[in-house]
Amino acid sequence: MTSNGTRWVLLGAGALTAVGVGRTVARRRRRHQPERQDGWYVVRRGITVDRPVDEVIGFWTDRERLDRALAEWATLEQLADNRWRCVARDPAGGGTEWCAEIQVAGPGRLTWRVTDGPAQHGTVELVPAPQDRGTEIRAELRYRSGRLRRAFGLAAGDEPDLGLRDTLRRVKSLIEAGQVIDTRRDPSGRSPAQEAATDRVREKLTTGGRA
Amino acid sequence: MRALCWEGVGKLAVRDVPEPRIRAEGDIIVKVRASSVCGSDLHLINGYLPAMREGDVLGHEFMGEVVETGPGVRRLKVGDRVVVGSVVACGGCWYCRTEQYSLCDNSNPQPVFTEKLWGHSPAGILGYSHAAGGYSGSHAEYVRVPFGDVGAFPVPDGVPDDSVVFASDAMPTGWMAADFCGLTGGEVVAVWGGGGVGQMAARAAQLLGAGRVIVIDRLPERLAPAADRLGVETVNYADTDVLEALREMTAGRGPDACIEAVGMESHDVGPAYAYDKAKQTARLQSDRPTSVRQAIMACRKGGTVSIVGVYGGLVDKFPLGAAMNKALVLRMGQMHAQRYIPMLLDRLAAGEIDPGYLATHPLSLEQGVRGYEVFEKKQEGCLRSVLHPA
Repeated sequence: MTSNGTRWVLLGAGALTAVGVGRTVARRRRRHQPERQDGWYVVRRGITVDRPVDEVIGFWTDRERLDRALAEWATLEQLADNRWRCVARDPAGGGTEWCAEIQVAGPGRLTWRVTDGPAQHGTVELVPAPQDRGTEIRAELRYRSGRLRRAFGLAAGDEPDLGLRDTLRRVKSLIEAGQVIDTRRDPSGRSPAQEAATDRVREKLTTGGRA
Repeated sequence: MRALCWEGVGKLAVRDVPEPRIRAEGDIIVKVRASSVCGSDLHLINGYLPAMREGDVLGHEFMGEVVETGPGVRRLKVGDRVVVGSVVACGGCWYCRTEQYSLCDNSNPQPVFTEKLWGHSPAGILGYSHAAGGYSGSHAEYVRVPFGDVGAFPVPDGVPDDSVVFASDAMPTGWMAADFCGLTGGEVVAVWGGGGVGQMAARAAQLLGAGRVIVIDRLPERLAPAADRLGVETVNYADTDVLEALREMTAGRGPDACIEAVGMESHDVGPAYAYDKAKQTARLQSDRPTSVRQAIMACRKGGTVSIVGVYGGLVDKFPLGAAMNKALVLRMGQMHAQRYIPMLLDRLAAGEIDPGYLATHPLSLEQGVRGYEVFEKKQEGCLRSVLHPA
């Protein structure tokens, strides 16, 4: 039989552990929360493209190449000299679509705002990378979301931050490699149901990550 | 078409699967003529690299014939007999530009797993699980090769399929292992593992100027060809204390460079091995680092330890103190196939390297399951099973 004393010690140790774990988890979660400013969530992400700034800008101004590169997931329409309209589709084929207006705000700097879709806007800046490593594409994204909606969005994988990181990776790949690799529909011995389950796993392994 | 698929931990089967199609401008379709089993496949089959999905097509070391090219392919044409590097590389990122192809930024479309596990995602690898991009592999009649111009190389006439197939992975991996050692001439190089990669590393060390090469394994059918074909010295760890033997052979100095060509499922004798095996089986460590430990302990002060055996996660009891206090150079990595393959094909054609003897078990694709069985269980003197779909 366990004595009463031992029971109290175990209970105390258990409670202390629970409090400790809870605090650690809370601290960790706070560290991973995006910054908040004036009611907006703000995230900043960057990616390095192994091309000089001029070439990165050139990629966006070569219409034919751009249209070919974006064919599967977005269309770009020039509204005025320095204004563009972008309609993007969910590359996974979920049917979601959003429109954004892009404005060139200076050399190597543009701003964008979602016009039809969730409230989001941001800036993109092109900075030469050190040691001849090409161009740093630095993006800032501001979006509105309630705490609850954000939590559900995170669980469902449609957190704007994940989308931003995806987009940056795609852009890098388009400029450097001329394509975004896709291994879905590669041959396999899976049944249609297994293939659908695998596609969901692929989606998780594709979305987000480090920009 | 027929393909060898993974069906669950330890289970393989040859199945009907759809044929691959050109999906991007740089793609090529290769009709596979020879596709080798590789020791690193065993880590996938046995679930130590836990990113396989049921139905995945295995195989990453192969050669064949180009049967279709995407509109963006310039260097290759239909009918070319080619060998394909296992590592997928885009050719356009900083890593590719500096010939570090296995670190390509753009060839793994599913980078989240490895970014979480390793901090960054290296290149994709054909037929090598969803951690390495989820590509379909080469144990099949046809395989899609992305960035064909970067990854596939026409092979010289006259070199048989079962030799040239090893220019896909075993030869460049072995070569890179020896390249890491920074040999200047006359060094003593010890190689752990007498499998395909170990044998090729030993040969590469000879060609790069090593004075003596010592191969360590426990299987006579691996040590014998190493001694006969390559003329290296051998140590059988099953009946010899390796550290003692190497110290003795080098008059106390220890080898100048130690190459580890074994990987996470290494074998040994004695209680330390039993302990590692138990921990790995219980998933308390992902990798068994037996031979890496030995290489670090054996290496001379200030020497180089070069690791090309595949590791996936965490190891236990890593002798960092020995490495630090002996001022060792540790070098490691997946091979940069595209950097070495053209040079290796020249050496193959010139007869400087002849890996044909590794293909002890030429089999049909339908015999693929047996191919892996004899390879894993080291039966019938198997060095490598090479599958021929055609």
